[in-house]
Amino acid sequence: MDLEKLRKTAAEIVSRDDVKYLIGWRPGSFGYRVSPCFVQDAAGAEELIFSPLCASNLATYLTLVEKLPVPRGEEPDRRKVALLVKGCDSRAVVQLLVEKGIEREQVILVGLPCRGVVDLNLLQQKYPEGLEKGELSWQEGGFQLIRNGETATIPREEILAEKCRLCRYPNPVLSDVTIGDPVEPWETEADRGVEELEQKSVEERWDYWEEQFSKCIRCYSCRNACPLCYCDDCILDRLNPIWINRAVNFSENTAFHLARAFHLGGRCAECGECERACPMNIPLGKLNRKLAKEVREKYGYEAGVDPEAKPFLASYNPNDPEEFIL
Amino acid sequence: MTEKPKLGVYICHCGINIASTVDVEAVTEFAKGLPNVIVARNYAYMCSDPGQLLIKNDIKEEGVNRVVVASCSPRMHEPTFRKALQEAGLNPFFLEMANIREHCSWVHGDREEATAKARRLVAAAVAKVRQLEPLEEREVDAEPAALVIGGGIAGIQAALDIADAGFKVYLVEKTPSVGGRMAQLDKTFPTLDCSACILTPKMVDTASHPNIQLMTYSEVEEVSGYIGNFDVKVRKKARYVDFDKCTGCGECAAACRMANRIPNEFDAGMGKRSAIYLPFPQAVPAKYTIDPENCLYLTRGKCGKGPKCAEVCRAGAINFEQQDEIVEFKVGAIVVATGFDVFEARKKPEYGYADYPNVITGLEMERLVSASGPTGGQIKIKVEDEEIVPKEIAFIQCVGSRDKSVGNEYCSRVCCMYTAKQAHLVKDKIPDANVRVYYMDVRAFGKGFEEFYDRVRREGIHYIRGNPSEIFKRGSKLVIKVEDTLTATPMEDEVDLVVLAVGLEPRQDVRKIIDLLRLSQSPDLFFLEAHPKLRPVDTATDGVFLAGCCQGPKDIPDTVAQAKGAASSAMIPLARGKVKIGAQVATVNENTCRGCGFCVEICPYSAIELVAVNRFGHPVQVARVNEALCKGCGSCSAGCLSDSIQPKSFRDRQILPQIAALGVMR
Repeated sequence: MDLEKLRKTAAEIVSRDDVKYLIGWRPGSFGYRVSPCFVQDAAGAEELIFSPLCASNLATYLTLVEKLPVPRGEEPDRRKVALLVKGCDSRAVVQLLVEKGIEREQVILVGLPCRGVVDLNLLQQKYPEGLEKGELSWQEGGFQLIRNGETATIPREEILAEKCRLCRYPNPVLSDVTIGDPVEPWETEADRGVEELEQKSVEERWDYWEEQFSKCIRCYSCRNACPLCYCDDCILDRLNPIWINRAVNFSENTAFHLARAFHLGGRCAECGECERACPMNIPLGKLNRKLAKEVREKYGYEAGVDPEAKPFLASYNPNDPEEFIL
Repeated sequence: MTEKPKLGVYICHCGINIASTVDVEAVTEFAKGLPNVIVARNYAYMCSDPGQLLIKNDIKEEGVNRVVVASCSPRMHEPTFRKALQEAGLNPFFLEMANIREHCSWVHGDREEATAKARRLVAAAVAKVRQLEPLEEREVDAEPAALVIGGGIAGIQAALDIADAGFKVYLVEKTPSVGGRMAQLDKTFPTLDCSACILTPKMVDTASHPNIQLMTYSEVEEVSGYIGNFDVKVRKKARYVDFDKCTGCGECAAACRMANRIPNEFDAGMGKRSAIYLPFPQAVPAKYTIDPENCLYLTRGKCGKGPKCAEVCRAGAINFEQQDEIVEFKVGAIVVATGFDVFEARKKPEYGYADYPNVITGLEMERLVSASGPTGGQIKIKVEDEEIVPKEIAFIQCVGSRDKSVGNEYCSRVCCMYTAKQAHLVKDKIPDANVRVYYMDVRAFGKGFEEFYDRVRREGIHYIRGNPSEIFKRGSKLVIKVEDTLTATPMEDEVDLVVLAVGLEPRQDVRKIIDLLRLSQSPDLFFLEAHPKLRPVDTATDGVFLAGCCQGPKDIPDTVAQAKGAASSAMIPLARGKVKIGAQVATVNENTCRGCGFCVEICPYSAIELVAVNRFGHPVQVARVNEALCKGCGSCSAGCLSDSIQPKSFRDRQILPQIAALGVMR
């Protein structure tokens, strides 16, 4: 990864008058942690990194920013926001564009071809996280870990995140500048997680999800981490009518998770942030990927690949196969 | 509205339709105990005058301010009861109907259970009516003009009627001439009057009528807006002939290098025409058109040393530089009269239409017997390069009609009679011909039809009941394999000419009109009317009406009758000058709308657009509903992820208590 070029490009971008800031990653304060950072000036760009630890999807911040009331006589800040995007992150941005969540002129996308990020839990199982910082980088066939002055090589399969195993878009689908050479997409395995579930009986599936949903503590981290859950006024927060009761039990949890998954039907960019954010390790990605699979197979539609596409649930094609309609 | 809700509940017996299955007395007693109900009554026919009077009196005397009528589907009588409320001085939208007939008494047998269900339905309506809000219906101006799409007999008649009433009419026809299918016919059943003779005067009228703007060789490109205010864009295709200069003399067609080489559509492909042509002698307007697909100059950029047509045209009307022209105008109503196509006989390969030149369709037969047809009205066919007058002639009915194997289950309604007519004409022109008709059933249901059918049989036409299974060639003859089903005799019949009575189908390009006007199709794929019995010329799109065969197969009298019906319906908004806008429309919560535009894409009526608003200094986009276009269907609401758009009278806070009262929700 050409960090120098990334930092130089970022510095150039944030120095422009029409750019508010650039959102990227920088090393966290301990262990393997990586924090998002808002680079305001050229000096700040020196902190930027891009490594297999940069799993978080920064597109979330595009819609998270609070629009404070503009004092009378003043103009709202219309400066652009620059953003570092991996393949999956760029899909989220594209989906936001499709849904008019953001305007194309508002963002500058710095594309980063990505060879796959790691699942922090898997990494920690093998190399427990300490206070001292650890650095991870890509190398042929896997990852190189530098920690306590020691270097270790970890095979790719051991710690690669699940979403990256299934990734079909390692290169950004939309970007203004790209740092580094495009990555050759790798052989993706069939989505075993979803297929295994599909083959189970209804009772077995029910039991499986009962176990999973029962774990949920309704912290809504999955919703907050999702770049595509960005309604100012989420129906989960509404008091009149109360669509989903606040009680934390299997029934209400199930209602919540199904509502969340269905609100992402035909929209999910498969960045895996919901699952990564979940403190209870609920396999939310499986739900999302199941819906994405249905949409892909039944309608030939894939979310977040074409900024000119119409939103899936708002488009109608008279030639849809509609095999499921009797 | 802050006043305390005082509910009146009115339960209808509907004669015995409801009362025989539902214990209306018990439901009435139950209703009296529901919250805020101050009066509950039942009556034999709530929709009758005395029934309505009960409601009105309670509103006036008891102070009822919300009304629940438990009777039939709101589709029929909601307007009736709304009017009753209005007449009693109450906002007509303080009404909720509980459907205890279609949803209850008609579909259940057990009196106990049906009564229990009726109670729940009433309780649900009571729960909802308390949440309803007063709504106002508004009116907007209507443009006193109409668009008629299609220049066949239906379109011509509708246009003439509307124009005669004093309104401007834009008549748009796809082909270079008006006249449509009727102009192709020779004689009309059962009276045998000449089709062209009765049609031509009307065709001429459309061109000369001061209120009609006739646009032939034109297609409607875009329709937006709503009843009373449709914005229409029409593409006038380039004729490559100066419309004003052309005198219709025809010298160009005679001189054309492609003369007699292109199948003439008007003659159903039986005759030939030039690349510059007049579809038929009586064409209106009598102006020539160059067919850009076959003109040598337009396809290859070269025509000998120079286009002959331009050379011989003394008026200098030929203009190869002509471009399509887009015409825009505004109308208040639209009549769709796009007609039909005949069934493609190739889809029945067993009849050999594609293989044998002496197997022809009914429409081709019309041209063959017509005096203006390719043979000048003589029935001659070519068999093995020899032109003969056929003596053994068979007609086969129901080709492409009443036939599930080709996907057409319906009866085309005209084939029995046009076959009888053609059989008569054949017998008239070739008196020694042997004519037989293979039929499944003969449907002679119209005025004078049975008499005509009788007459034809007396003339010596044999009617043989049987559906031929195959046609093949033996020597110079065609052999029809068939079983006479009345005598159960399998037979082979040797004939010279077979006429397939092909049925009627929707136009091939019907999709274009559907997309243009947001129309629906019935299962037979013809356009769907708003109600099969009571609104046969209306469509689901207000202000768009149907005339003629685009709605379903029909003969000329029915087509003319429907065209006149469509014309008079279309004239209602034009004559009133105003149209009512429904009050139960979608509303947007602009504070929570995030401007994603899902609803804009979803709306089947194009009633929603995104507009820029200022939200605390930030320019944001939000959805806005054009209330004149909105039908309150609720599709937008279903598609909205942030729950920011809901139809009035069907808001969450109105529906959820209703569902809760049904006992479905806690």
